[in-house]
Amino acid sequence: MSTKPFVVLDNVAKRWNGQLGVENISLDIEEGSFVALLGPSGCGKSTSLRLLAGLELPDEGKIFIEGRDVTTSAASDRNLSMVFQSYALFPHLSVAENVIFGLKVRRVPKAERMEKMARALEITGLEGLESRKPGELSGGQRQRVALARAIVAGQRLCLMDEPLSNLDAKLRTSVRKDIKKLQRDLGITVVYVTHDQTEAMSMADKIVLMKDGRIQQIGSPNELYNSPANTFVAGFIGAPAMALIESHILGGVEDGYKIGLRAENISIVPKGEGKLSCNVTEVEFLGSETLIGLEHEGAIGLTVLQPGLLIIPLGQQIDITFDDQHLHFFDSAGERLPG
Amino acid sequence: MKRLSHYVESAAAILLAVIWISPLLFAFWAAFHSTSDAVNFNLMSSWTLDNFRVAWDGAPWLQYFLNTFLLVTIVLIGQFFFTTLAGFAFAKLEFPGKNFVFILVLMQLFILPEVLIVENYAMVSRLGLFDTLFGVGMPYMASAFGIFLMRQSFKSVPIELHEAARIEGCGLLGILWRVYVPLAKPTYLAYALVSVSTHWNNFLWPLIVTNSPETRPLTVGLSIFGAPENGVDISIISAATMMSVAPLLIAFLVFQRQFVQAFLRAGIK
Repeated sequence: MSTKPFVVLDNVAKRWNGQLGVENISLDIEEGSFVALLGPSGCGKSTSLRLLAGLELPDEGKIFIEGRDVTTSAASDRNLSMVFQSYALFPHLSVAENVIFGLKVRRVPKAERMEKMARALEITGLEGLESRKPGELSGGQRQRVALARAIVAGQRLCLMDEPLSNLDAKLRTSVRKDIKKLQRDLGITVVYVTHDQTEAMSMADKIVLMKDGRIQQIGSPNELYNSPANTFVAGFIGAPAMALIESHILGGVEDGYKIGLRAENISIVPKGEGKLSCNVTEVEFLGSETLIGLEHEGAIGLTVLQPGLLIIPLGQQIDITFDDQHLHFFDSAGERLPG
Repeated sequence: MKRLSHYVESAAAILLAVIWISPLLFAFWAAFHSTSDAVNFNLMSSWTLDNFRVAWDGAPWLQYFLNTFLLVTIVLIGQFFFTTLAGFAFAKLEFPGKNFVFILVLMQLFILPEVLIVENYAMVSRLGLFDTLFGVGMPYMASAFGIFLMRQSFKSVPIELHEAARIEGCGLLGILWRVYVPLAKPTYLAYALVSVSTHWNNFLWPLIVTNSPETRPLTVGLSIFGAPENGVDISIISAATMMSVAPLLIAFLVFQRQFVQAFLRAGIK
């Protein structure tokens, strides 16, 4: 029993008539881990989370939490908490009442309620705001109230649906760290939906990358970055994403493959010494480095990263080279080839 | 030209307001003067409270006030109960035939209550509620207007709040009570104002279905008090009228803004 993962989704599917739902979602989540469901909008990541939460019921498959079959259980019986994208704070209740809402519903004695609330407010740094209404709080504070409500009951599984998307960029970075620290300190399991790969890469132990209702790859951030399972993953993970080159334009490789190559593995060499000769189409100065966009027939997304500021006139031809060990090979269907 | 039409509009509005309020002003004037002074508009005549004393002794007003107060309270509680449950069902639950049933409820809005008086009378008698306050209030409890208003109000509650409450362990009625009802408070207040003023003023139905001073509301009591066979004394009738409308009038002055908003909202929705 102890070897069984904390949360299991077994071949889960949800279909809406005509609309795309999710298909064949199989996923194991270990206790205490941070799992990110990542993907472009409409890929089914939120649906997967809602299925796990019990807000939707699957048409197929089974869901287990702590070894218990909860496939058809009500949301309230699944022993989990959730942070919504819009925070879903009750506007008519004060911060304190919002936080202890669930405890009150579950008839936790008052003394215990107060104790738990004080702890949750302390952890989230909301002391002193107990009697404010959500309407009187800033976006960041509201977000923390939603977090406090999620952790107050001490549920071991917490679901988060794009909790940072309503915050400004600066706040997002700091709250990201807070959430990660919170998860580690409390030892809770977090399933986190996001469309922002930076969030997923920086926080998650395990990323589930989805597209069109199907899982594309499950793995650690390192695995997704360094061995993408297919061309979609290659083109999604990383900023800039992996360049994809038709195999026939590179000498010494068979036709019909796609070859992936990361920007940091490409270097610029003097004319005549490179493996490819490309046109410069874009120069983007990022501060510590410069991103140079290149164009070559049969290749998409070719970019080079150069340290510091580097000004190259647009349209100029430059030669690039790379080490063959950094190449990723994909077959014509886009699946990764071994080796 | 534009200025002129502006003045004309203002003048028309003032004229309309004067016409509207003049009966009330006259009743107020008459209530505080002897009959002859009142009808002769003797502006120098002395003010008196005699009319109120006579009127007060002429009928069991305290009982009537109590009856009206109980009646509007019973109706309001019943309406809150039924419109909340029905509005919630129409707004947030899925059941077969929902739209059809909702249209049936809306059709009720087209039917004037007066048309149903005979049928309601028969029904109330069958239930043995004739000449009881509960019988007076019952036909109004499942108000179509109220159901519609509540449905609209509940529909505007974001679904995330519903889902958050579900995750926190609330059952359906718990969600209704802890999330939807508190959020619809302004709607409840608006509806209460409309309902109380309507039923405070309601006359025909209580006249038919009540038969004794123990159940008679103010409006019916007032009409019996002012009936020609009791002798017409305009000042005393005015005094009695002032007494009956006073609570509502004071409430109107206190809640003026909410009243206007309530009726506006009722018109829009």
